[in-house]
Amino acid sequence: MMKNCLVREMQFKANFVVRLFTETMWLVMQFIYISVMYGQTGQIAGWNMWEMVVLAGTNHVIAQLFEALFYDNCMRLIDQIRQGDLDFNLIKPINTQFLVSLRYTDYASIVNSSIGIGIILFALGKLGLGITLGGVVLFAALVANSILIYYSILFILSVWTFWIGRSNNLMELYWQFGQFSRYPGEIYPWLLRRLLQTLIPMLIVSNVPAGVLIHKLQTGLIFYGFTLGVVFLALTAWIWQRGLQRYRSASS
Amino acid sequence: MTTAAPTAQNRSPLHKYWVILSTRTQEDMTYRFNYVFGAIFRFLPLVTMIFLWYAVYMGRNMAPINGMSFKDMIVYNALMYIARGFSSVPGTMNDISKDIKDGLLNRYLIKPMDYFGYQVMYRLAHKLVFWYIALLTFPFVFWFMSASGHYFTHWPTLWEALAFLASLVIAFCVGIQFCFMIGNLAFWFLEISTFLFVVMMLEFFLSGQLIPLNILPQWMHQFLFLSPFSYEGYWPCVILMGKVPQDQLLPVLGRGVLWVGVFYAAVRVMWRMGLKRYSAVGG
Repeated sequence: MMKNCLVREMQFKANFVVRLFTETMWLVMQFIYISVMYGQTGQIAGWNMWEMVVLAGTNHVIAQLFEALFYDNCMRLIDQIRQGDLDFNLIKPINTQFLVSLRYTDYASIVNSSIGIGIILFALGKLGLGITLGGVVLFAALVANSILIYYSILFILSVWTFWIGRSNNLMELYWQFGQFSRYPGEIYPWLLRRLLQTLIPMLIVSNVPAGVLIHKLQTGLIFYGFTLGVVFLALTAWIWQRGLQRYRSASS
Repeated sequence: MTTAAPTAQNRSPLHKYWVILSTRTQEDMTYRFNYVFGAIFRFLPLVTMIFLWYAVYMGRNMAPINGMSFKDMIVYNALMYIARGFSSVPGTMNDISKDIKDGLLNRYLIKPMDYFGYQVMYRLAHKLVFWYIALLTFPFVFWFMSASGHYFTHWPTLWEALAFLASLVIAFCVGIQFCFMIGNLAFWFLEISTFLFVVMMLEFFLSGQLIPLNILPQWMHQFLFLSPFSYEGYWPCVILMGKVPQDQLLPVLGRGVLWVGVFYAAVRVMWRMGLKRYSAVGG
C-alpha cells in the first residue's frame, strides 16, 4: 500500500518541491510572528523565545505527519460515506477502519516534517539543552500519541457523516482548533485551559511533547496524555462500528 | 391594463449585472448554514490572539508598543475581521486563472458584458451574503468585547467614521483588482498555484493581518504604509481607532484611490495583451 503511494507521488516531482517550498514559507511567517512578539518582551507566560520555537517546531512535525498519514484519507472517507462508495473497502480481508484511515500516504508531508525536526534541534542548541536517548524515545512516543489523538478527533468528525449526511463544515473545525495548539497552555485562563486539556485536547498534543524536550513538564501529564490517546482511539473504533450499521451502499 | 414585462430592449444595459448579483446571492443563501457555521467559528483565532497578546503585554507591565496599548491591539485584531471582510475575495485568483487556462473564457467572451464586470458582481454577491450573516454575529462579538473588557476606548469622530467607510470601499477595490491582476497572469504562465500561495502569504503579512504594521520595525514603515496592501487591512482599522490625525485622513485615502486606479489600469492592459495570446481549446 505504502509503496504504491510512493510511486504515485514520484510521478509529480515538481509538486513535491512546491509543497516543500510553501510549507517553509509558512514556517518563516510563524517565525516572524514569534520574533516580533519577543521583540517586545523576554517572556510570554514563562516561555522564552527559543522554547516557543521548540513548541512551533513540534507542532509542525505533528501536524505534517498527521496530514501525511490521515488527513486526505479522512476527507476521502466523508465523500465515500455520503456517496455510498465504501463497498470495496468493506469486502477486503483487513480491518476496515485501518484500511480507510491509512489507504493513501502523502510523502511530501513526511519530508516537510523533517524541517520541523531541524527547527527543534536548532532551537534546542540555542537553549543549550542536550538531548538524551530516553528523551528522544519519549518524545517520539508522545508525537505518535499526539498524531493518534488528532486522528481520532478528525476521524470522529468524519464519521459523523453516517448520521448527518454531509459534514464538510466540521472539517473547518479541525483547522480552527489547531490554532489552540500553537501556543503555551499557560496563556489561557483556567477554564479554557482545562477544556483544551480534556474535551478538545489541543494543549496535550503540542505542549506535552515539546515540554519533554525543554524539561518543562510534570510527569503526570505524560501519563495523562497516553491515557487520553488510548481513550480517544477506543472511541473511534466504537463510533466506526456504530456508524457502519447505518451505512447504505449506493451500488446495486 | 397590465404592465408589460420589461423586454430586452427597454432594460437598462446595467440590468444584466443586477441579474448576476441577485442570482448569485440566492445561490449562496441556499447554503446559509454553511455560512452561519463559518461565521461563528471564524472568531476562534481572536480568542487565542487575545490571550497571547495579553501574555506579551503582561511581560512588559502593560506598556504600549509603539503607541498600541493592549486594548488597541485587541480592537485592531477585531476590526481586521471587518476590513478583511471587504478586501478578501477568496477563490477569485484561482477561478480567473482557471477560466483562462482551461479555455472557459469563451463562454464569457461571447456574452455582451464585461468579464470583470461579471466577476465584480459575482464576488459582490458573496460579500452581500457574508455581511448578511456577519451582521448577526459581528455586533454580538463587539458588544461582548465592549461589555467584558471595555476594549473600545476611542469613540470615532464623524470624519473618522466617514473615512472608515471610504477606506472599506477602497479595501474592496484594491483587494479585488489585485486578484484580477494575479489571475490574469495565467495568460502567460501555465501553472501559477504555487505563486498564488506565496502571493496570499505576502498579502497576509503586508496588509497587517498577521501583525499590526505600526509595531513592525521603524525602517520598514515607509514602505509598509505606502504599499497598496496596507489598504486591505491596516488603514481601515487604524482610521476607525483614531490613530490617524484628521489632516492625514484625506492624503491616506487619496493614495488608496490612486492605487485602485493603478491596479485598474494594470488589469485592463494585461487583459488586452492577454487576450491576444489567448487560445481556446474545444469547440
